[in-house]
Amino acid sequence: MKKISQLLLALVASTAILPACATDSSSLMGMTRDQPLVVGSISLPDVSENGVSQNFFFKAEEGHLLTVFFGYTMCPDICPTSLSDFRSALRRLGDRAQKIDLAFVTVDPQRDTAEKLIPFLGSYATNFHAIRTSDASQLSLAQDAFLVRSSVTTDDSGHIQVTHTGTGFIVNSDGIVVSELPFGIGPDGMENDFNVLLNKIETGEMK
Amino acid sequence: MKKTKFAIVAVATLSLGAASCGSGSETTDTTVAATPAVAEYVVDGAWARTSPMEATMGAVYLNITSTVDDALVGASVSTEIAAMTQVHETLMNADGTMGMQEIASVPMTANTPLTLAPGGYHIMLMELVKPLVVGETVSVTLTFASGGTTTVDAIVSEEAP
Repeated sequence: MKKISQLLLALVASTAILPACATDSSSLMGMTRDQPLVVGSISLPDVSENGVSQNFFFKAEEGHLLTVFFGYTMCPDICPTSLSDFRSALRRLGDRAQKIDLAFVTVDPQRDTAEKLIPFLGSYATNFHAIRTSDASQLSLAQDAFLVRSSVTTDDSGHIQVTHTGTGFIVNSDGIVVSELPFGIGPDGMENDFNVLLNKIETGEMK
Repeated sequence: MKKTKFAIVAVATLSLGAASCGSGSETTDTTVAATPAVAEYVVDGAWARTSPMEATMGAVYLNITSTVDDALVGASVSTEIAAMTQVHETLMNADGTMGMQEIASVPMTANTPLTLAPGGYHIMLMELVKPLVVGETVSVTLTFASGGTTTVDAIVSEEAP
């Protein structure tokens, strides 16, 4: 037990030092690209206001960050894991969480009606956009911008099988993806990136 | 972490198979146990993620250790909880997407924990009858290739305990 405690202390110490030694961009725990994805000109219907479609562009409000996930409400493992990690991260942020918005794009629009999406997302976030289009080409266009893939098929036993990219995306008010959150990054990683990026907004380093 | 230990009366079929293989020899095989091996299972950290009102699927996660080489071959819950229960694995496909598939058998090495965790193996609760509420428990019965079974209470929570 003593050895485990010492190891944990060493790990905590090393993780505490890393951000201080690193540059601003490398202190992000999500992934960044030399040529970041630009998604701000892409739009899809937002049905979060009582199911009435409003055109939504993938860019954060001024001074905010937008977190984008692709998924579906009947997803038992990937989506609830990512969304509950997101919820935990926001709780840790306290007042700063008001500057983090969520956009959840359903890849299973046939089953994910607005009536299902709104309460589902409401259990994970306050500031959310329920994004739904039944136009497959429109969804495909948005997925291409994020380099996301998905499929909905029915297997031999009649069960609907859904696959989708598990990555989350943090988008700034210029519509640029400033951090890509791999599945499993956890609440620590998300909280870290939100804090790093909000700091950049507050210091004027980033819009 | 609180651990629950279950003594299982089922006889490990793997041990029986080993015993019958040695029966053709006239010499005494002292490596065969005089009494059949009894599988014991230790389960810890069992939890189920709370389900939003509109979610009809749920997942249970846990760590399980068997005292014999074994395999997890099934799971079940009361039909008052979910219409169907399956052991699933989340996989990364070649195109980078993630999907799930039912797993008929998850191999277990004796005395080595098998971890069912988000993004990997999980017990999938399909067609939930009612939402899973934080603080409540879901009784899950696990079935093993050895013929053993064990039942564990998974506590419903927002994230891993």
